[in-house]
Amino acid sequence: MFMNAVLTGLTLGGVYALVAMGLTIQYGVSRTMNLAYGEFLIAAAFAAFVLFSTLGISPYLLALGIVPVSFLVSLFVYRVMAMPLVRRAKSAMSLEIDSLLLTFGLLFAMMGVMLLIFGSNYTNYSYMARPVRILDATVSANRLLSFAAALVVGALCWLLLMRTRTGAALRAVAVDPVGARLVGIDVQWAAGLAFAIGGAIAALGGVLISTYLTFTAEMGVVFTMKALIVVIMAGVGHVPGALISGLVLGFVESFVAAYLDPGLTVAVIYAVFLVVLLVRPSGIFGKVAR
Amino acid sequence: MLEVSGLSVRYGRHLALENAALKIGQGEIVVVLGANGAGKSTLIKAIAGLVAPDPGARVMLDGQALHRLPAYRIVDAGLALVPEGRHLFSTLTVAENLSLGAFLPRTRQKADESRDLVFGIFPKLEQRLTQVAGTMSGGEQQMVAIGRAIMTRPRVLLLDEPSLGLSPLLTAELFRALPSIARTGMSVLLVEQNTHQSLAISDRGYLIEKGVICGQGTASELLASETVQKAYLGS
Repeated sequence: MFMNAVLTGLTLGGVYALVAMGLTIQYGVSRTMNLAYGEFLIAAAFAAFVLFSTLGISPYLLALGIVPVSFLVSLFVYRVMAMPLVRRAKSAMSLEIDSLLLTFGLLFAMMGVMLLIFGSNYTNYSYMARPVRILDATVSANRLLSFAAALVVGALCWLLLMRTRTGAALRAVAVDPVGARLVGIDVQWAAGLAFAIGGAIAALGGVLISTYLTFTAEMGVVFTMKALIVVIMAGVGHVPGALISGLVLGFVESFVAAYLDPGLTVAVIYAVFLVVLLVRPSGIFGKVAR
Repeated sequence: MLEVSGLSVRYGRHLALENAALKIGQGEIVVVLGANGAGKSTLIKAIAGLVAPDPGARVMLDGQALHRLPAYRIVDAGLALVPEGRHLFSTLTVAENLSLGAFLPRTRQKADESRDLVFGIFPKLEQRLTQVAGTMSGGEQQMVAIGRAIMTRPRVLLLDEPSLGLSPLLTAELFRALPSIARTGMSVLLVEQNTHQSLAISDRGYLIEKGVICGQGTASELLASETVQKAYLGS
Protein backbone atom coordinates (compact mmCIF):
# COMPACT_ATOMS: atom_id res chain seq x y z
CA MET A 1 0.00 0.00 0.00
CA PHE A 2 2.86 2.36 0.83
CA MET A 3 4.53 1.97 -2.56
CA ASN A 4 1.17 2.35 -4.26
CA ALA A 5 0.59 5.63 -2.49
CA VAL A 6 4.10 6.82 -3.40
CA LEU A 7 3.58 6.01 -7.07
CA THR A 8 0.12 7.59 -7.18
CA GLY A 9 1.45 10.66 -5.37
CA LEU A 10 4.43 10.98 -7.65
CA THR A 11 2.46 10.66 -10.88
CA LEU A 12 -0.35 12.97 -9.74
CA GLY A 13 2.09 15.44 -8.15
CA GLY A 14 4.13 15.59 -11.35
CA VAL A 15 1.11 16.78 -13.32
CA TYR A 16 0.08 19.20 -10.53
CA ALA A 17 3.59 20.61 -10.56
CA LEU A 18 3.38 21.16 -14.31
CA VAL A 19 -0.04 22.80 -14.10
CA ALA A 20 1.06 25.07 -11.23
CA MET A 21 4.17 26.05 -13.18
CA GLY A 22 1.93 27.29 -16.00
CA LEU A 23 -0.08 29.46 -13.62
CA THR A 24 2.99 30.88 -11.92
CA ILE A 25 4.54 31.80 -15.29
CA GLN A 26 1.27 33.46 -16.36
CA TYR A 27 0.87 35.48 -13.20
CA GLY A 28 4.54 36.15 -12.50
CA VAL A 29 5.13 37.83 -15.86
CA SER A 30 1.77 39.24 -16.94
CA ARG A 31 0.45 40.06 -13.44
CA THR A 32 -2.92 38.79 -14.63
CA MET A 33 -4.26 36.19 -12.21
CA ASN A 34 -6.16 33.86 -14.52
CA LEU A 35 -9.18 32.52 -12.64
CA ALA A 36 -10.26 30.70 -15.82
CA TYR A 37 -7.01 28.71 -15.79
CA GLY A 38 -8.74 25.45 -14.82
CA GLU A 39 -11.30 25.99 -17.61
CA PHE A 40 -8.50 25.87 -20.16
CA LEU A 41 -7.41 22.59 -18.56
CA ILE A 42 -10.91 21.07 -18.63
CA ALA A 43 -11.57 22.32 -22.17
CA ALA A 44 -8.42 20.53 -23.29
CA ALA A 45 -9.54 17.38 -21.43
CA PHE A 46 -12.87 17.46 -23.31
CA ALA A 47 -11.10 18.11 -26.60
CA ALA A 48 -8.91 15.05 -25.98
CA PHE A 49 -11.99 13.01 -25.03
CA VAL A 50 -13.96 13.99 -28.15
CA LEU A 51 -11.07 13.61 -30.57
CA PHE A 52 -9.97 10.31 -29.03
CA SER A 53 -13.51 8.88 -29.14
CA THR A 54 -14.14 9.95 -32.75
CA LEU A 55 -10.71 9.56 -34.35
CA GLY A 56 -9.13 6.97 -32.05
CA ILE A 57 -5.83 8.86 -32.04
CA SER A 58 -3.65 8.61 -28.91
CA PRO A 59 -4.31 11.56 -26.55
CA TYR A 60 -0.56 12.08 -26.31
CA LEU A 61 -0.46 12.75 -30.05
CA LEU A 62 -3.62 14.86 -29.83
CA ALA A 63 -1.81 17.05 -27.29
CA LEU A 64 0.47 18.16 -30.12
CA GLY A 65 -2.57 19.81 -31.69
CA ILE A 66 -4.54 20.83 -28.58
CA VAL A 67 -1.63 22.56 -26.84
CA PRO A 68 -0.84 25.01 -29.68
CA VAL A 69 -4.56 25.85 -29.97
CA SER A 70 -4.67 26.71 -26.27
CA PHE A 71 -1.50 28.78 -26.72
CA LEU A 72 -3.19 30.81 -29.45
CA VAL A 73 -6.50 31.17 -27.58
CA SER A 74 -4.64 32.39 -24.47
CA LEU A 75 -2.62 34.83 -26.57
CA PHE A 76 -5.89 36.09 -28.04
CA VAL A 77 -7.43 36.46 -24.57
CA TYR A 78 -4.44 38.50 -23.42
CA ARG A 79 -3.99 40.67 -26.51
CA VAL A 80 -7.67 41.37 -27.15
CA MET A 81 -9.32 41.18 -23.72
CA ALA A 82 -6.64 41.99 -21.14
CA MET A 83 -4.64 44.60 -23.12
CA PRO A 84 -7.33 47.30 -22.99
CA LEU A 85 -7.26 46.91 -19.20
CA VAL A 86 -3.46 47.18 -19.17
CA ARG A 87 -3.63 50.36 -21.26
CA ARG A 88 -6.16 52.10 -19.05
CA ALA A 89 -4.81 50.87 -15.68
CA LYS A 90 -3.86 53.72 -13.39
CA SER A 91 -1.90 51.52 -11.00
CA ALA A 92 -0.65 47.96 -10.67
CA MET A 93 -3.34 47.32 -8.07
CA SER A 94 -6.24 48.48 -10.25
CA LEU A 95 -4.90 46.31 -13.08
CA GLU A 96 -4.86 43.24 -10.83
CA ILE A 97 -8.47 43.83 -9.77
CA ASP A 98 -9.67 44.52 -13.32
CA SER A 99 -7.98 41.43 -14.67
CA LEU A 100 -9.40 39.31 -11.84
CA LEU A 101 -12.88 40.44 -12.84
CA LEU A 102 -12.12 39.72 -16.50
CA THR A 103 -10.90 36.17 -15.91
CA PHE A 104 -13.69 35.55 -13.39
CA GLY A 105 -16.17 36.33 -16.16
CA LEU A 106 -14.20 34.23 -18.61
CA LEU A 107 -14.44 31.31 -16.17
CA PHE A 108 -18.26 31.39 -16.27
CA ALA A 109 -18.38 31.91 -20.03
CA MET A 110 -16.12 28.93 -20.72
CA MET A 111 -17.84 26.75 -18.13
CA GLY A 112 -21.25 27.67 -19.56
CA VAL A 113 -20.23 26.71 -23.08
CA MET A 114 -18.86 23.38 -21.86
CA LEU A 115 -22.01 22.67 -19.82
CA LEU A 116 -24.09 23.43 -22.90
CA ILE A 117 -22.12 20.99 -25.06
CA PHE A 118 -21.29 18.21 -22.59
CA GLY A 119 -23.79 18.62 -19.75
CA SER A 120 -22.72 18.15 -16.16
CA ASN A 121 -22.05 14.39 -16.47
CA TYR A 122 -18.84 12.82 -15.31
CA THR A 123 -16.73 11.99 -18.31
CA ASN A 124 -13.88 9.56 -18.73
CA TYR A 125 -12.37 7.33 -21.36
CA SER A 126 -9.98 4.45 -21.30
CA TYR A 127 -6.56 4.75 -22.87
CA MET A 128 -3.52 2.68 -21.86
CA ALA A 129 -5.24 1.72 -18.61
CA ARG A 130 -3.27 -1.50 -18.21
CA PRO A 131 -1.34 -1.93 -14.94
CA VAL A 132 2.43 -1.75 -14.74
CA ARG A 133 4.27 -3.38 -11.83
CA ILE A 134 7.00 -1.34 -10.16
CA LEU A 135 8.59 -2.56 -6.89
CA ASP A 136 5.65 -4.54 -5.48
CA ALA A 137 3.15 -1.88 -6.52
CA THR A 138 1.01 -1.37 -9.55
CA VAL A 139 0.38 1.85 -11.39
CA SER A 140 -1.48 2.33 -14.66
CA ALA A 141 0.53 2.91 -17.81
CA ASN A 142 -1.34 6.15 -18.61
CA ARG A 143 -0.34 7.65 -15.24
CA LEU A 144 3.30 6.77 -15.85
CA LEU A 145 3.30 8.14 -19.38
CA SER A 146 1.54 11.33 -18.25
CA PHE A 147 4.12 11.78 -15.51
CA ALA A 148 6.93 11.32 -18.03
CA ALA A 149 5.35 13.87 -20.36
CA ALA A 150 4.98 16.34 -17.48
CA LEU A 151 8.66 15.85 -16.61
CA VAL A 152 9.83 16.41 -20.17
CA VAL A 153 7.71 19.52 -20.76
CA GLY A 154 8.58 20.89 -17.31
CA ALA A 155 12.28 20.47 -18.11
CA LEU A 156 11.84 22.13 -21.51
CA CYS A 157 10.09 25.12 -19.95
CA TRP A 158 12.83 25.36 -17.36
CA LEU A 159 15.46 25.43 -20.12
CA LEU A 160 13.43 28.03 -22.02
CA LEU A 161 13.30 30.26 -18.94
CA MET A 162 16.87 29.85 -17.76
CA ARG A 163 18.89 29.33 -20.94
CA THR A 164 17.30 31.41 -23.70
CA ARG A 165 17.13 35.10 -24.42
CA THR A 166 13.35 34.94 -24.49
CA GLY A 167 13.42 33.29 -21.06
CA ALA A 168 15.73 36.00 -19.75
CA ALA A 169 13.28 38.62 -21.01
CA LEU A 170 10.37 36.88 -19.28
CA ARG A 171 12.29 36.65 -16.01
CA ALA A 172 13.34 40.29 -16.29
CA VAL A 173 9.71 41.39 -16.71
CA ALA A 174 8.68 39.24 -13.73
CA VAL A 175 11.31 40.89 -11.52
CA ASP A 176 10.92 44.52 -12.64
CA PRO A 177 8.72 45.55 -15.60
CA VAL A 178 10.08 49.12 -15.64
CA GLY A 179 13.65 47.85 -15.58
CA ALA A 180 12.77 45.53 -18.45
CA ARG A 181 11.48 48.41 -20.58
CA LEU A 182 14.70 50.30 -19.88
CA VAL A 183 16.83 47.56 -21.45
CA GLY A 184 14.61 47.45 -24.53
CA ILE A 185 12.24 44.58 -23.70
CA ASP A 186 8.69 44.93 -25.05
CA VAL A 187 6.86 44.22 -21.79
CA GLN A 188 3.45 43.77 -23.42
CA TRP A 189 4.86 41.21 -25.82
CA ALA A 190 6.51 39.34 -22.91
CA ALA A 191 3.28 39.39 -20.87
CA GLY A 192 1.26 38.03 -23.81
CA LEU A 193 3.84 35.32 -24.44
CA ALA A 194 3.87 34.25 -20.77
CA PHE A 195 0.08 34.16 -20.71
CA ALA A 196 0.07 32.00 -23.84
CA ILE A 197 2.75 29.64 -22.46
CA GLY A 198 0.69 29.25 -19.29
CA GLY A 199 -2.43 28.47 -21.32
CA ALA A 200 -0.51 25.89 -23.34
CA ILE A 201 0.74 24.21 -20.16
CA ALA A 202 -2.80 24.15 -18.70
CA ALA A 203 -4.02 22.42 -21.86
CA LEU A 204 -1.24 19.84 -21.68
CA GLY A 205 -2.14 19.20 -18.05
CA GLY A 206 -5.76 18.74 -19.09
CA VAL A 207 -4.92 16.19 -21.77
CA LEU A 208 -2.60 14.26 -19.43
CA ILE A 209 -5.12 14.19 -16.56
CA SER A 210 -7.99 13.20 -18.88
CA THR A 211 -6.27 9.87 -19.58
CA TYR A 212 -6.77 8.69 -15.99
CA LEU A 213 -9.11 10.99 -14.06
CA THR A 214 -12.86 11.46 -14.35
CA PHE A 215 -13.78 15.05 -15.10
CA THR A 216 -16.85 17.27 -15.53
CA ALA A 217 -17.51 20.62 -17.15
CA GLU A 218 -17.72 22.22 -13.72
CA MET A 219 -14.41 20.93 -12.42
CA GLY A 220 -12.14 23.65 -13.79
CA VAL A 221 -12.32 25.67 -10.60
CA VAL A 222 -10.96 22.70 -8.61
CA PHE A 223 -7.80 22.72 -10.71
CA THR A 224 -7.55 26.52 -10.56
CA MET A 225 -7.75 26.31 -6.76
CA LYS A 226 -5.18 23.53 -6.54
CA ALA A 227 -2.79 25.35 -8.87
CA LEU A 228 -3.36 28.57 -6.94
CA ILE A 229 -2.62 26.82 -3.64
CA VAL A 230 0.60 25.40 -5.04
CA VAL A 231 1.61 28.79 -6.49
CA ILE A 232 0.88 30.72 -3.30
CA MET A 233 2.43 28.04 -1.11
CA ALA A 234 5.61 28.16 -3.18
CA GLY A 235 5.77 31.96 -3.41
CA VAL A 236 4.23 33.69 -6.42
CA GLY A 237 6.39 33.57 -9.54
CA HIS A 238 8.82 31.03 -8.08
CA VAL A 239 9.02 28.30 -10.74
CA PRO A 240 11.16 25.62 -8.98
CA GLY A 241 9.12 26.24 -5.83
CA ALA A 242 5.91 25.56 -7.75
CA LEU A 243 7.36 22.30 -9.07
CA ILE A 244 8.33 21.09 -5.59
CA SER A 245 5.07 22.20 -3.96
CA GLY A 246 3.08 20.56 -6.76
CA LEU A 247 4.80 17.24 -6.09
CA VAL A 248 4.18 17.61 -2.36
CA LEU A 249 0.49 18.29 -3.02
CA GLY A 250 0.28 15.10 -5.09
CA PHE A 251 1.86 13.08 -2.26
CA VAL A 252 -0.41 14.61 0.37
CA GLU A 253 -3.44 13.74 -1.74
CA SER A 254 -2.44 10.15 -2.40
CA PHE A 255 -1.34 9.43 1.19
CA VAL A 256 -4.47 10.93 2.73
CA ALA A 257 -6.59 8.96 0.27
CA ALA A 258 -4.71 5.74 1.03
CA TYR A 259 -4.37 5.95 4.83
CA LEU A 260 -7.18 8.23 6.02
CA ASP A 261 -10.11 8.74 3.69
CA PRO A 262 -10.36 9.88 0.07
CA GLY A 263 -13.01 12.40 1.13
CA LEU A 264 -10.53 14.20 3.37
CA THR A 265 -7.93 15.07 0.71
CA VAL A 266 -9.20 18.56 0.01
CA ALA A 267 -9.57 19.33 3.73
CA VAL A 268 -6.02 18.19 4.47
CA ILE A 269 -4.64 20.16 1.52
CA TYR A 270 -6.27 23.32 2.83
CA ALA A 271 -4.96 22.59 6.33
CA VAL A 272 -1.40 22.29 4.98
CA PHE A 273 -1.95 25.48 2.98
CA LEU A 274 -3.17 27.31 6.08
CA VAL A 275 -0.21 26.19 8.17
CA VAL A 276 2.25 27.26 5.47
CA LEU A 277 0.64 30.69 5.20
CA LEU A 278 0.68 31.13 8.97
CA VAL A 279 4.36 30.28 9.20
CA ARG A 280 5.54 31.86 5.95
CA PRO A 281 3.04 34.42 4.66
CA SER A 282 4.90 34.99 1.40
CA GLY A 283 5.27 31.29 0.64
CA ILE A 284 7.90 28.65 1.36
CA PHE A 285 10.29 29.98 -1.27
CA GLY A 286 9.02 33.56 -1.32
CA LYS A 287 11.02 36.46 0.00
CA VAL A 288 10.21 37.24 3.60
CA ALA A 289 8.04 40.33 3.68
CA ARG A 290 9.66 43.30 5.35
CA MET B 1 22.67 65.50 -31.17
CA LEU B 2 19.67 65.35 -28.77
CA GLU B 3 17.17 68.13 -29.31
CA VAL B 4 14.03 68.49 -27.22
CA SER B 5 11.36 71.10 -27.82
CA GLY B 6 7.73 71.79 -26.92
CA LEU B 7 7.72 69.13 -24.21
CA SER B 8 4.72 69.46 -21.88
CA VAL B 9 3.44 66.82 -19.46
CA ARG B 10 0.16 66.80 -17.57
CA TYR B 11 -0.76 64.59 -14.63
CA GLY B 12 -4.53 64.92 -14.70
CA ARG B 13 -5.13 68.67 -14.55
CA HIS B 14 -1.74 69.45 -13.08
CA LEU B 15 0.75 70.78 -15.62
CA ALA B 16 4.03 69.24 -14.43
CA LEU B 17 6.17 70.38 -17.32
CA GLU B 18 5.50 73.27 -19.68
CA ASN B 19 6.99 73.68 -23.13
CA ALA B 20 10.46 72.48 -22.18
CA ALA B 21 13.32 72.71 -24.66
CA LEU B 22 16.96 71.67 -24.39
CA LYS B 23 19.94 70.55 -26.46
CA ILE B 24 22.85 68.25 -25.81
CA GLY B 25 25.89 67.84 -28.02
CA GLN B 26 27.97 64.70 -28.43
CA GLY B 27 30.16 63.87 -25.41
CA GLU B 28 28.66 66.72 -23.46
CA ILE B 29 27.59 66.52 -19.81
CA VAL B 30 24.51 68.63 -19.17
CA VAL B 31 22.79 69.02 -15.82
CA VAL B 32 19.22 70.13 -15.13
CA LEU B 33 19.02 71.77 -11.71
CA GLY B 34 15.86 72.27 -9.74
CA ALA B 35 14.21 71.78 -6.39
CA ASN B 36 11.99 68.85 -5.39
CA GLY B 37 8.84 68.79 -7.50
CA ALA B 38 10.17 71.28 -10.04
CA GLY B 39 9.57 68.83 -12.88
CA LYS B 40 13.09 67.44 -13.29
CA SER B 41 12.10 63.78 -13.13
CA THR B 42 9.08 64.39 -15.35
CA LEU B 43 11.32 66.00 -17.96
CA ILE B 44 13.73 63.09 -18.05
CA LYS B 45 10.96 60.45 -17.97
CA ALA B 46 9.13 62.15 -20.84
CA ILE B 47 12.31 62.15 -22.93
CA ALA B 48 12.76 58.41 -22.24
CA GLY B 49 9.12 57.67 -23.06
CA LEU B 50 8.10 56.53 -19.58
CA VAL B 51 5.42 59.22 -19.33
CA ALA B 52 3.41 60.44 -22.33
CA PRO B 53 3.89 64.13 -23.25
CA ASP B 54 1.18 66.39 -24.67
CA PRO B 55 0.91 66.62 -28.47
CA GLY B 56 3.42 68.95 -30.06
CA ALA B 57 6.43 67.54 -28.26
CA ARG B 58 9.55 66.85 -30.27
CA VAL B 59 12.44 64.67 -29.09
CA MET B 60 14.99 64.27 -31.86
CA LEU B 61 18.14 62.13 -31.57
CA ASP B 62 20.46 62.66 -34.56
CA GLY B 63 17.44 63.43 -36.72
CA GLN B 64 15.38 60.45 -35.53
CA ALA B 65 12.06 61.25 -33.87
CA LEU B 66 11.84 59.51 -30.49
CA HIS B 67 8.59 61.09 -29.28
CA ARG B 68 6.48 58.67 -31.31
CA LEU B 69 8.25 55.52 -30.10
CA PRO B 70 7.35 53.32 -27.10
CA ALA B 71 9.95 53.23 -24.30
CA TYR B 72 11.53 49.96 -25.36
CA ARG B 73 12.11 51.26 -28.92
CA ILE B 74 13.67 54.46 -27.59
CA VAL B 75 16.33 52.29 -25.93
CA ASP B 76 17.06 50.70 -29.30
CA ALA B 77 17.33 54.15 -30.86
CA GLY B 78 20.20 54.96 -28.49
CA LEU B 79 18.82 56.66 -25.43
CA ALA B 80 19.15 54.99 -22.03
CA LEU B 81 17.68 56.06 -18.70
CA VAL B 82 18.88 55.27 -15.19
CA PRO B 83 15.67 56.02 -13.32
CA GLU B 84 15.00 57.18 -9.82
CA GLY B 85 14.80 54.04 -7.70
CA ARG B 86 17.12 52.36 -10.23
CA HIS B 87 14.71 49.52 -11.13
CA LEU B 88 17.43 46.88 -11.10
CA PHE B 89 16.54 43.20 -11.46
CA SER B 90 17.05 42.87 -7.74
CA THR B 91 16.79 39.08 -7.42
CA LEU B 92 19.23 38.50 -10.28
CA THR B 93 23.03 38.71 -10.09
CA VAL B 94 25.16 41.64 -11.23
CA ALA B 95 26.30 39.60 -14.21
CA GLU B 96 22.69 38.83 -15.20
CA ASN B 97 21.70 42.49 -14.80
CA LEU B 98 24.54 43.54 -17.09
CA SER B 99 23.81 40.91 -19.73
CA LEU B 100 20.14 41.89 -19.77
CA GLY B 101 21.43 45.38 -20.59
CA ALA B 102 22.74 43.83 -23.81
CA PHE B 103 19.35 42.26 -24.60
CA LEU B 104 18.76 44.04 -27.92
CA PRO B 105 20.18 42.46 -31.09
CA ARG B 106 22.04 45.72 -31.82
CA THR B 107 23.98 45.41 -28.56
CA ARG B 108 24.32 41.65 -28.19
CA GLN B 109 27.37 41.17 -30.40
CA LYS B 110 29.11 44.00 -28.54
CA ALA B 111 28.28 42.59 -25.08
CA ASP B 112 31.89 41.66 -24.18
CA GLU B 113 33.22 44.99 -25.38
CA SER B 114 30.46 46.81 -23.46
CA ARG B 115 31.24 44.85 -20.31
CA ASP B 116 34.91 45.90 -20.52
CA LEU B 117 33.73 49.48 -20.95
CA VAL B 118 31.63 49.20 -17.78
CA PHE B 119 34.50 47.61 -15.82
CA GLY B 120 36.78 50.42 -17.01
CA ILE B 121 34.41 52.94 -15.45
CA PHE B 122 33.39 50.93 -12.37
CA PRO B 123 36.25 48.45 -11.64
CA LYS B 124 34.44 47.38 -8.45
CA LEU B 125 31.72 45.61 -10.40
CA GLU B 126 34.12 43.08 -11.88
CA GLN B 127 34.63 41.47 -8.46
CA ARG B 128 30.93 41.48 -7.66
CA LEU B 129 29.58 39.71 -10.73
CA THR B 130 28.04 36.81 -8.82
CA GLN B 131 26.42 38.96 -6.13
CA VAL B 132 22.63 39.32 -6.14
CA ALA B 133 21.97 42.96 -7.08
CA GLY B 134 19.37 43.54 -4.36
CA THR B 135 21.88 42.75 -1.62
CA MET B 136 24.32 45.53 -2.60
CA SER B 137 24.67 48.96 -1.04
CA GLY B 138 22.91 51.94 -2.62
CA GLY B 139 26.08 53.23 -4.23
CA GLU B 140 26.95 49.86 -5.69
CA GLN B 141 23.41 49.42 -7.01
CA GLN B 142 23.68 52.80 -8.70
CA MET B 143 26.87 51.59 -10.41
CA VAL B 144 25.07 48.43 -11.60
CA ALA B 145 22.17 50.55 -12.87
CA ILE B 146 24.50 52.87 -14.80
CA GLY B 147 26.48 49.84 -15.98
CA ARG B 148 23.30 48.17 -17.23
CA ALA B 149 22.36 51.37 -19.08
CA ILE B 150 25.82 51.54 -20.69
CA MET B 151 25.38 47.92 -21.85
CA THR B 152 22.52 49.16 -24.08
CA ARG B 153 25.21 51.23 -25.90
CA PRO B 154 23.35 54.53 -25.77
CA ARG B 155 24.40 57.72 -27.50
CA VAL B 156 22.71 59.64 -24.71
CA LEU B 157 22.63 58.51 -21.08
CA LEU B 158 19.97 60.03 -18.84
CA LEU B 159 20.48 59.95 -15.08
CA ASP B 160 17.65 60.78 -12.68
CA GLU B 161 19.20 62.10 -9.45
CA PRO B 162 22.02 59.57 -9.30
CA SER B 163 23.28 60.99 -5.99
CA LEU B 164 19.95 60.52 -4.20
CA GLY B 165 20.45 58.55 -0.99
CA LEU B 166 24.21 58.17 -1.45
CA SER B 167 26.81 59.27 1.07
CA PRO B 168 28.92 62.33 0.08
CA LEU B 169 31.90 60.03 -0.47
CA LEU B 170 29.98 57.74 -2.84
CA THR B 171 28.41 60.73 -4.59
CA ALA B 172 31.87 62.13 -5.28
CA GLU B 173 33.01 58.74 -6.58
CA LEU B 174 29.96 58.50 -8.83
CA PHE B 175 30.35 62.02 -10.23
CA ARG B 176 34.01 61.36 -10.95
CA ALA B 177 32.93 58.50 -13.21
CA LEU B 178 30.70 60.67 -15.40
CA PRO B 179 33.49 62.51 -17.30
CA SER B 180 35.05 59.15 -18.14
CA ILE B 181 31.70 58.04 -19.56
CA ALA B 182 31.45 61.23 -21.63
CA ARG B 183 35.00 60.73 -22.94
CA THR B 184 33.83 57.51 -24.67
CA GLY B 185 31.58 59.71 -26.83
CA MET B 186 28.34 59.25 -24.88
CA SER B 187 26.41 62.36 -23.93
CA VAL B 188 25.16 62.57 -20.36
CA LEU B 189 22.04 64.39 -19.23
CA LEU B 190 21.48 64.35 -15.50
CA VAL B 191 18.95 65.99 -13.26
CA GLU B 192 20.20 66.87 -9.79
CA GLN B 193 19.61 68.78 -6.62
CA ASN B 194 23.27 68.47 -5.74
CA THR B 195 24.23 71.75 -7.43
CA HIS B 196 27.91 72.16 -6.52
CA GLN B 197 29.11 68.69 -7.28
CA SER B 198 27.07 68.27 -10.44
CA LEU B 199 28.09 71.65 -11.92
CA ALA B 200 31.72 70.80 -11.17
CA ILE B 201 31.66 67.93 -13.66
CA SER B 202 29.16 69.38 -16.17
CA ASP B 203 29.77 71.38 -19.33
CA ARG B 204 26.43 73.18 -19.28
CA GLY B 205 23.32 73.43 -17.19
CA TYR B 206 19.63 74.32 -17.26
CA LEU B 207 17.55 75.65 -14.38
CA ILE B 208 14.00 74.41 -13.93
CA GLU B 209 11.36 75.83 -11.63
CA LYS B 210 7.66 74.94 -11.36
CA GLY B 211 7.79 72.95 -14.58
CA VAL B 212 9.40 75.71 -16.64
CA ILE B 213 13.00 75.88 -17.80
CA CYS B 214 13.93 79.35 -16.57
CA GLY B 215 17.63 79.64 -17.21
CA GLN B 216 20.67 78.09 -18.82
CA GLY B 217 24.37 78.61 -19.24
CA THR B 218 27.79 77.02 -19.10
CA ALA B 219 28.69 75.39 -15.81
CA SER B 220 31.05 78.21 -14.86
CA GLU B 221 28.47 80.88 -15.73
CA LEU B 222 25.88 79.14 -13.57
CA LEU B 223 28.29 78.72 -10.67
CA ALA B 224 29.00 82.46 -10.82
CA SER B 225 25.43 83.61 -11.43
CA GLU B 226 23.54 85.35 -8.68
CA THR B 227 20.22 83.55 -9.19
CA VAL B 228 21.90 80.18 -8.86
CA GLN B 229 23.83 81.37 -5.84
CA LYS B 230 20.61 82.43 -4.18
CA ALA B 231 18.28 79.68 -5.25
CA TYR B 232 20.49 76.61 -5.21
CA LEU B 233 23.74 77.24 -3.44
CA GLY B 234 22.24 78.75 -0.34
CA SER B 235 24.48 81.79 -0.02
